[in-house]
Parts: sequence; C-alpha cells; structure tokens
Amino acid sequence: MAKVMLEVKELTTKYITRFQENIYAVDHVSLKVEEGKSLGIAGESGCGKSTLALSLMGYYFPPLHYTSGEIIIDGRNISGMEPDDVRKSILGKEIAYIPQSAMNALNPTQKIIHFIEDVIHAHESHVTKKEIYERARKLFEILGLPESTLQKYPVELSGGMKQRTVIAISVLLSPKVLIADEPSSALDVTTQKMVIKMLRDLMEKKLIKSMIFITHELPLLYNVTDDIMVMYAGQIVEKGTAEQVVFDSIHPYARGLMGSIIVPEQGLRDVKLTAIPGVPPNLKNPPAGCQFAERCQYVRPECKAMSVNLRELKGGRAYRCILSEEELREAYQNG
Amino acid sequence: MERYRKYFLNKLSWFLITFVCAFILNFILPRLMPGDPVAAIVSRMAQGMSNATGVQAIYQQYTELFGTNKPLLQQFFIYVNNVLHGNFGFSLSQYTRTVADVLGASIWWTICLQFPAIIVGWLIGNTLGALAAYRKGGFDKIIMPISIFVSNFPAFGMAIILLVIFGVGLKWFPTSGGYGFDLIPNFSWKFIWSVIVHYQLPFWSIVLISIGGQAIGMRSMSIYELNADYVKYARFMGIKDRKIIGYVFRNAMLPQITGLALSIGTMVGGALVAEIIFSYPGLGFTLLNGVMGQDYPLISASTLIITVMVLSANFIIEILYGIIDPRIKAAQAD
Repeated sequence: MAKVMLEVKELTTKYITRFQENIYAVDHVSLKVEEGKSLGIAGESGCGKSTLALSLMGYYFPPLHYTSGEIIIDGRNISGMEPDDVRKSILGKEIAYIPQSAMNALNPTQKIIHFIEDVIHAHESHVTKKEIYERARKLFEILGLPESTLQKYPVELSGGMKQRTVIAISVLLSPKVLIADEPSSALDVTTQKMVIKMLRDLMEKKLIKSMIFITHELPLLYNVTDDIMVMYAGQIVEKGTAEQVVFDSIHPYARGLMGSIIVPEQGLRDVKLTAIPGVPPNLKNPPAGCQFAERCQYVRPECKAMSVNLRELKGGRAYRCILSEEELREAYQNG
Repeated sequence: MERYRKYFLNKLSWFLITFVCAFILNFILPRLMPGDPVAAIVSRMAQGMSNATGVQAIYQQYTELFGTNKPLLQQFFIYVNNVLHGNFGFSLSQYTRTVADVLGASIWWTICLQFPAIIVGWLIGNTLGALAAYRKGGFDKIIMPISIFVSNFPAFGMAIILLVIFGVGLKWFPTSGGYGFDLIPNFSWKFIWSVIVHYQLPFWSIVLISIGGQAIGMRSMSIYELNADYVKYARFMGIKDRKIIGYVFRNAMLPQITGLALSIGTMVGGALVAEIIFSYPGLGFTLLNGVMGQDYPLISASTLIITVMVLSANFIIEILYGIIDPRIKAAQAD
C-alpha cells in the first residue's frame, strides 16, 4: 500500500469576525492523499474550498483560527506545532501552496531570482547565491521555462508565465504536498491547459509527491486528479474517484454541479444545462439539519430536522444525505 | 535602452520648455506691480535735499543704472544676458548690495532649516505610519487621530502655537531671528549656541506639520501592501515576517519618495511661513522683504531659485523612479 502523504482528521477551522461571530468555514473535514495521487476539491464559491486550502497548511493568522482536528504530513502531526516551527520546517518545504491569484503573488519590485533566494534561505541557511541560481536554473529547465525569467521582474512576464513561475517557485523545495488553489481560473483556456499540463508534469517528474487541486469546475478535475471531493457549506458532501464523482455522482449537489456546466465529454454533451437555484447558506447562522436542504429538489421534511452524517460506502466513497443510495438513484430516475 | 533614452529626452525637453516659460513669468510678473522702487531709493538717498533738479538728477542716474527707463522687452534681454553671465544685478531695496550677495547670505539659513526639518519629519512620519499599519490596535487608534489633527493645522497656526507656548509662555526659546541680536556671526561657542537655540521653534514647527501628513499617507499605503497577495504567498512559502515587512515597506515607500522629493523641491516656498513668523533670516524672509520693497531683481532671482528647485526635483524623480520601481520602468519604455 502506498504511503499516505497527507492525512486530515476531522479538521475544523473558523473565522472570527470583528463582531466576535464564529463562522465555521471548514467543518469536520477528513481526507487522505497517498503518494503519487492527486485529490480534487470542487464546490461553488463561498463553500469553503479556499479556506480548506489555507487550513491544511497548519499556519493560521487572523481572522482564521484553528478549532480542532489533526493534520498529518508524511506521518508527522503538525496540528500541535508552534506557528514559527510550522513556518520554518513545514511551509514551502513539506507543503506548498499556489495561490488563487498568481498575478499578484509576486512582489512587484523584486526580481524572481531574489525571491527564490529568500524562499530557500528561509529554510536552508547555508546555501550560496550561486548554488541557488544553479538549482533554480535546473528546475526552470525541467519545467520548460526560459532561464532569462529568473532575472526578470514580475511585471515583465505575461499572465501565463507569471502563473508558471509561481508554480515553479512553489515546488522549489520538492514539497510532499502541493495545494493548488484555483491556479487556472484567472487564465484563458489555452494557458489553462498549459498550467494543468505543468501540474501533471510535476507529478510525473516526481517534483512533488502529491497534490490537492481546488476548483469550481468539477468536470475539469476529471482530467487532472485521481480522486474528487465535493464541498458544500464547509462540509464534504461527496467523495470518490474522479470517474465516480463526475459520471455517477450520488449527492444531489454534486449532480447539480455537473448539470450546470457545459461538458464536451462524450455522453454528457447532450445534457441540458440546469442551474442549482438559490445560494449557499450564510455560515454565520447555519441551518439545522442538512445544509443543502433549502436548495435540494428532493428535500423531505426530516432533512431540516436532524443533522446529516457522511455515509461511508466501500472503496473510500462517501456522501452526505439521509437518503440511501438506492432511494437517491430512484429519485433521479423519476426526474 | 533606446526607448529609455527617448523617454529621457522627452522629459528633458519638457523640463526646458517649462523652465523658459517660468523664467519669463518670473521676470514679468514682479515688474507689473504698481509703484516705482527707484523713487523709493531716491527719496532715501535724497533725504534732506531741497533742490528739485538735484533730486531729479539722482533719479535719472539711478534709472540709468537699473535700466528701468528702457522698454520692458529691452530690459528682458539685458536681464537674460546678465543672468547667463551669472549676474543678477543690484538689489533695489538693499541698494549697494547685489542680489547674489543678499541671496547668498540667506539661502544657507533656509537650506539648513528646511532640509533637516523635511528629512526628520519624513522619517518620523513614515515610521509612525508604518508602525500604525503593522501594529494596528491601540497604537493605531492613538497615532491616527493625532496625525489627522496635527496635519490639518495650517503652517502658520502651528508656528504661532509653538511661539506662544515655548517662546512667550515658557520662555524656553527666543521668539525671533536666526541668532541673538547682540551677536556678530562668528565661530565662537556662544554664537553657535545662540543659533541652535533660535533654530528649535522654526524647525519643530515644520517637522510637526509634516509628520502628520506623512504618517497618514504611509499608513494607508502600508495597509494596502500588507494585504497584497504577495504577502500571503511569501508567508505560505515560509519566509520570515521580518523579510516580508521589508518587501511591504519598500513598496509602500515608493509614493512617499515622490512626496519627499517634491517637498525638497518646494522647500524655499514652504519655508516662507515659518521664516516670516520667526523672522528667520532665510530666503523666504528675504523674498517677503523683496516683495515689500518692490525689489524686482531680488524677487525674480528668488523665484528663479524656487523654479529651478521644483523643476529639478520633478525631473530627478521622473528619471530615478524608473530605477527604483520596475513597474514604472516598464510603463516608461512603452
């Protein structure tokens, strides 16, 4: 059995607003990513995807606060560590992050190579500038980025180049887990494809050991990741392999996500587009019972009465609904 | 590089065009003032003389000397020619002294008062602003209102408040002049001490005014930069806070540098109020005397100094900014 690179157990984090309200944006999330595997996290905006990405790194700054749960990277539990230790020995080195807006992720008044020096020096103090340059040059070569990029300022790079440079910097120290938070959503389709190819390259060339890819486009994940997790209102609502979640989703929300996006894949091409009515609940006052009940077309009175647990199926599959798999499938059959 | 040269030449030609226009205005505007300064000199010279033809002769001689009997256009060309030779003529109100002599005596007072005051005010203001942005909380809540309060004082208001409290009330510092009236400038310890004591009130009146504005500007720039995406990314790459703060303040500082250069450029004009209130023997005070005495050559020369300083400061910022900020350089090259 493959080694588990990242294991998260019942992680809960919250935002504390300045009026001292607690907003639980990540609610008892558990996940597991094995070596050489990638996990996709999908959901519409405001459902806690990006907060989960931030929470996974074990480094919290206001307004985000840790509440409970464990994060284990390659057998090492980082949940109880001092923030300064997390920063020095975990961030960038064990777990790396590609931000949502790579356009502004680089300091505009610093040359790329100087930022790379700062990143490496933050973790390894006795490295000369020459060695760093050599390392950066090699990495850029492997990733197909021109060496001249190193001597440039971020403004001198195009959007796609900036994004790819950020990805290259993120994997400088060969992290065990790479978290990519919507790395492609601000880019045009051609560049998107390039970025996704680059991320797959990273896995193939073993520059990273595992990856978590976050996006609001569920079908995109089918081409990128092995497993998919669908989030809604800070909770996992469905979990399974990419194939299962994309083509055979159980939870009404996951189905709704698939139904609301144009998919050129065979077999899904003729499906009529349907939007999910309504908006995600306000997490300041989350509804009792199923979080999705308000928007669910198969809702029953008991949905709103009791809280719903994640139902584990065999093969790592899971979904969060009071109805059984058979009941749901029957409901879908009848429209 | 070729593009940058073009940019440079473009800026340089604008510099020259502005300079010529300002030069012409500097010459014409004082001379459009009503009144005859030569008559004032003559009446001073001819005190006690009752002979009208004698007075007339003296008047003739002086108009001849100052060239005020010639048409304005001709005067202008004489002036241009003289300025090109470094000759700014005689001061009318302090006749027998040349303009160069009058300005030479006063400009150092202004530079020594203004330059340190601007730098100190800028440094304190920016440090406070940056700290307020970084520390937030109580520190910010105290610094901000004080800054807003202080920066909205008119310059003369602050000068008069200091004058009343520390000069008149507490009698800690003298109320006017650059040094004691009973002293002759020399390098004795007594004279230097007198200069230092006289220096304090005008100096702090300028510093206090500039701190507030700088702190407010720096605070908002820093808050903006602290929330920038690159800060978050650098944190998640494990870079130490100290380093990240270095990035942030360097970037927040860029617009503040423009402010610094501009206030150095406008330093002579800015000195006016403090110098007048404290009768400080600097350029601003001299300019005021020039205006009172309708001293065209002195006014023209003073305003020429101000023009040159403002223009040079702007020009230097435009050229240097591209070097400090790569974003501007990219925009300049287009």
